Amino acid sequence: MAAAPQTVAERQKRLELRALLNKRYKWIDRKWDLVFWITAIFVVAGAADITKQLFAGDWDFWTDWKDPQWWPVITAFATIIIPSALQYIQWAAWRFPTGATYTAVCFFMAAWVGRYFQWHVAESYPMNFVWPISTVCAAIILDWLLMKTKSFILTSLIGGPIWALLVWAFNYIPLAPFLQPAYFMNHVLTVADIQGIVYIRSQTPEYLRLIERGALRSFLGETQYVSLVFGGTMAVLGYWIGQFIGRYLAVWPIRRYLKTV
Amino acid sequence: MAQSQAAKLPRDFDSGPIATGREQHPTDWGVGWTSLFWGSALVMAANLFLWFWDYEFAFTKGLNSASPEFTMYYRTLFWGELIVLGAFTGIWYGWLIRTGREIANQPFSRAEEVRRIAVLWSIIGVTSLSIYIEASFWPNWDGSWHQTLVRDTALTPTHIPMFYFFFPLSVVLALGAYIYGNSRIPALYSRDKGFPWSFFLLISAAVLECMEVAFNEWGHSLWISEEFFAVPFHWPFVAYGWLASGMFAVWGETILRLFEIEKAEEVANGVTPAESQAVAD
Repeated sequence: MAAAPQTVAERQKRLELRALLNKRYKWIDRKWDLVFWITAIFVVAGAADITKQLFAGDWDFWTDWKDPQWWPVITAFATIIIPSALQYIQWAAWRFPTGATYTAVCFFMAAWVGRYFQWHVAESYPMNFVWPISTVCAAIILDWLLMKTKSFILTSLIGGPIWALLVWAFNYIPLAPFLQPAYFMNHVLTVADIQGIVYIRSQTPEYLRLIERGALRSFLGETQYVSLVFGGTMAVLGYWIGQFIGRYLAVWPIRRYLKTV
Repeated sequence: MAQSQAAKLPRDFDSGPIATGREQHPTDWGVGWTSLFWGSALVMAANLFLWFWDYEFAFTKGLNSASPEFTMYYRTLFWGELIVLGAFTGIWYGWLIRTGREIANQPFSRAEEVRRIAVLWSIIGVTSLSIYIEASFWPNWDGSWHQTLVRDTALTPTHIPMFYFFFPLSVVLALGAYIYGNSRIPALYSRDKGFPWSFFLLISAAVLECMEVAFNEWGHSLWISEEFFAVPFHWPFVAYGWLASGMFAVWGETILRLFEIEKAEEVANGVTPAESQAVAD
């Protein structure tokens, strides 16, 4: 019986929220939503792609670079930053647990446009050599974590390592065929290695030699799992860089002014 | 009084509805958002032109910067870009400042302020598109080009559209958005309030990006002429994408202003319907 007044209050609150949701404004209509969500795609895609390209781009441009130890580490770090920022922005503004997924989809589209038109059409690299990774599946899980925990700290601590694992796992599926062994010029190489030799990147360092340093297959493949754990650590760090961006570069400046002395 | 003064001003919602058979609203696609469509179309047209130019001439005329063909097709393009951008900036800023001075301190209706916020969002939307083109679309070709071919100049076929057109274009658009808001949305961006952090971050992002071009070219000529995208002297470019988050603050503060305008309208309508046309607070 004691819960009854609380239930009435809750119901009242819910009715108020529903009334607010359905409120008719004179000038605020769905066009503002449409313009915001569509025009924001571009800045989000640009920010996510430039962050990934300049921190981890080389490990994502080519299939043979997706094999070394740096890939699971630096890719996880670079790709979680902007999703984290958007997670904060969308959660703070609307309690939408969708920021990471929104960013990942924007990033996915931008990456494919870039790879298709600028690498494949313009420079004639085959798409199966330069396909970009996707972070959409990992982002859905990251958003789900925020929705369930309602905590950015828990989302970072649990979601960071999961992000590193899932970005690797989901992209390992398309990558796996290129890591199969093949016999080429009296050597056993991977299919990806052969792509790297055949499609000449004459201005990329070490384009002539195949250097077996930091490969994920070192130590009978256990390096792969060590890299993933370290990648998870780096993803936690990246998550909080993203939180800084969302909190202090996107939300904090609202209606704040630099005063002249 | 407000109506009669505003009627003299260009593109002012207070100048009254056009005879279309229905009342126009400031948020109609053909009223407040036309700048978004025209601006986006212009930026996309410029981008398509530059992409097809490179597609046609990069491999045939753009490999040797000492050649006469390079001068003809690429140095001319470089100067052409700067001239077009300079002319556009002069005309647009001139118009913004001149008309801004004319309407400064003049009263305007709430509907007109809503239209102005829609125009500001339109400019911001076009800036967002420009940011995507400079931060994702062209860097992809820049990466594939420089990892494939030897560079012998800072004015490479992919740098010319990216560094010397879209980078400065974003500065022009971001600063133009502030100039627009400064004279037309005084409740948020009047000079006496101080310089908004939102625009400070957005504009400084675009300016820093241009400055980073100098560091990038200096680094490529000193340390490594080859391309390695994750090289540390590329990292400051990333700051641009991060600082551009100031765009979300612009959206946030203008949304809050829209709610204030709606509230003022409701209050005005609640007291007396005649006050709904009153000057915005």
